[in-house]
Amino acid sequence: MRNGKTLLRWMVMMAVVTVVSSGVILAPKATIAGTLEATDSGAPSAMVLFPVTEKANPANAAMRPAVFNHLIHEKKIEDCQACHHTGDQVACSSCHTVEGKEEGKFITLERAMHAENIAKRDKDTPSSCVSCHVEQLKKTECAGCHSIIKPARGQEYCGVCHDVATTMTPQQLRQGIQGKLSSSDNEALAEATVAKRTPVPYINPNSIPYNVTIDALADQYEPNTFTHAKHLDSLMKAIKDDKLAAAFHNNPATLCATCHHRSPLSATPPKCGSCHTTANYDAANPDRPTLKAAYHLQCMGCHDSMKVSRPRNTDCTTCHKERAK
Amino acid sequence: MNRRKFLTILGSAGVVSALGTAQVAKASGGTTTYPYYENSYGVLHDTTRCIGCRRCEKACQQVNNLPMPAKPFNDLEVTATKRRTTADAWTVVNRYMIKNPEGGKDKPVFRKLQCYHCNDPACASACFAKCFKKEPSGVVSYDGSQCVGCRYCMVACPFYVPGFQYEEAWDPLVLKCTFCSPRLQKGQLPGCVEACPMGALTFGKRSDLIKIARKRMDKEPAKYVDYLYGEYDAGGTAWMTLSGVPHAELGMDMNLGNRPMGELTAGALGAVPMIIAFWPVLFGGVYGITKCKERLVKKEQEKAIAAAQAQTKQALEAAVENIEKTQGVEAAIQVRQALKTAQQPPSDGSCCCSSKHGEGV
Repeated sequence: MRNGKTLLRWMVMMAVVTVVSSGVILAPKATIAGTLEATDSGAPSAMVLFPVTEKANPANAAMRPAVFNHLIHEKKIEDCQACHHTGDQVACSSCHTVEGKEEGKFITLERAMHAENIAKRDKDTPSSCVSCHVEQLKKTECAGCHSIIKPARGQEYCGVCHDVATTMTPQQLRQGIQGKLSSSDNEALAEATVAKRTPVPYINPNSIPYNVTIDALADQYEPNTFTHAKHLDSLMKAIKDDKLAAAFHNNPATLCATCHHRSPLSATPPKCGSCHTTANYDAANPDRPTLKAAYHLQCMGCHDSMKVSRPRNTDCTTCHKERAK
Repeated sequence: MNRRKFLTILGSAGVVSALGTAQVAKASGGTTTYPYYENSYGVLHDTTRCIGCRRCEKACQQVNNLPMPAKPFNDLEVTATKRRTTADAWTVVNRYMIKNPEGGKDKPVFRKLQCYHCNDPACASACFAKCFKKEPSGVVSYDGSQCVGCRYCMVACPFYVPGFQYEEAWDPLVLKCTFCSPRLQKGQLPGCVEACPMGALTFGKRSDLIKIARKRMDKEPAKYVDYLYGEYDAGGTAWMTLSGVPHAELGMDMNLGNRPMGELTAGALGAVPMIIAFWPVLFGGVYGITKCKERLVKKEQEKAIAAAQAQTKQALEAAVENIEKTQGVEAAIQVRQALKTAQQPPSDGSCCCSSKHGEGV
């Protein structure tokens, strides 16, 4: 091969073969991925995030993998560095494993995904899935409820992400934990999971009491007519297109739970007065607000957080007219 | 007594009394004046809940039969003034505008001021008439029957709470929040606590309130500053304050230390009765000894003078008798006459004359 021409010809042929063959390999994947819109970045639209570990135990015991919808996150956040904080667009688990690695400054996968209240860095403070989601709760339309309610870190909460299609075989889990599952299998699993995810419809505002008369305490003031259904309706409208809310509000009665708190989610929750005393003082539970305080704290807490400027907190007669003496 | 003697006595008296005072100070001060009452009550003010409606102020006025202020209670702009408690207003709610770190509108935060009912109150330690008392219920009570109106309590209070009836001419009293002690005894809540529509005032055992406050701060770390004002401030107070912004921004003194104010003054003020009892005896004794000595000296002097006078008289008599022998009776009579006039004190006329001359000079 002294001739440069021959070398060049070989190289061109090699290039052609590579392109064609990769096309052939990619072709079947494209058909699997057909259910989801492709991403602009070229990254898979959805992926299973396995708890990648260097010490995979033989029983395959591991946290249920999380399925990450790259597509909707990419659409929401234009800056890739928000998550890919090193600038390299590689998988999180390449640095953050279950045990932690030097490349990831020994920050474990669990911390990288769930850490909250991350200490501010001089620049580019990294964020975890949870820290970013918690940040979203400060939006005006969310803050009303979420200044009062911090979602309990329970099965329902974790299961929103840690949920993978039942078609996943133990073999696939083992491969995933070892970081050896083929990307096509991974994406197929992810897409199957995403496909079965459907938002839960909220309780219909027409099916709940339209107006509620709050009269248990009427003394100095007339009873208040609370526009019950209207309140639910306006909350629903505010978060209509919010995919984060749709994913996590996974019970029809979720929106009821801010006011009707501390009782199992239900379309027929207990009354406020069931727990909050109409007396001046609850000696058994000094920290539990009295009914009067509970109403005011709940109404004003939500209004303040949602920046509802009217009525002002001290305009008593806007909500309940003064009783004629 | 000469100057040196006087200074010696004064110095030694000073040392003795100083030692005695130190002894008293050691016995009464250095430790707290009141024990900590485990089951005492308190009130927790959560400023994150307060909306500045002034219902507590109004209720205070009503339940304590205090005069209504010139501006009505529904005038909420009054809270913009940094008011203090007075003899006629035992609680005030003031508004503090807190800068928003992210820009935008300032956030109003309201802070209630009233007697904090310290665990070991400075007013009680300052009062020599013993008008103030920390009750086991948590109340810092005031009994004005012995009050002399010195207003030391007002100077001593780290929160500037007690108010004085300046306009009372005959029997002015110091007035402050009573923790609605009469109501508590009847099983009622303090007027302000009962009136609060926001549950911003929580009444309970002080120990429970601390737990409640901790729970709130733990549950919502972003909402609260991790500090319970009054838990240790000024040695601990029955009324405590939770805040969402640094307490200093609500005009609260963060430099009161965690020991009772009384500790600083109890030593010195505890010595006052001792000084009253001991110093008169001491200095009375010193005075008595000095006087006694002076009396003895005077006596001796008088004795010596009398002896000297007797001697002189004798010598004169002898001289006159000698003249009588040598120059005859006539001369002796003349000499006696001359001596008599010389010994007699000068008459009034001459005295007046000399004083006049004196004036001329």
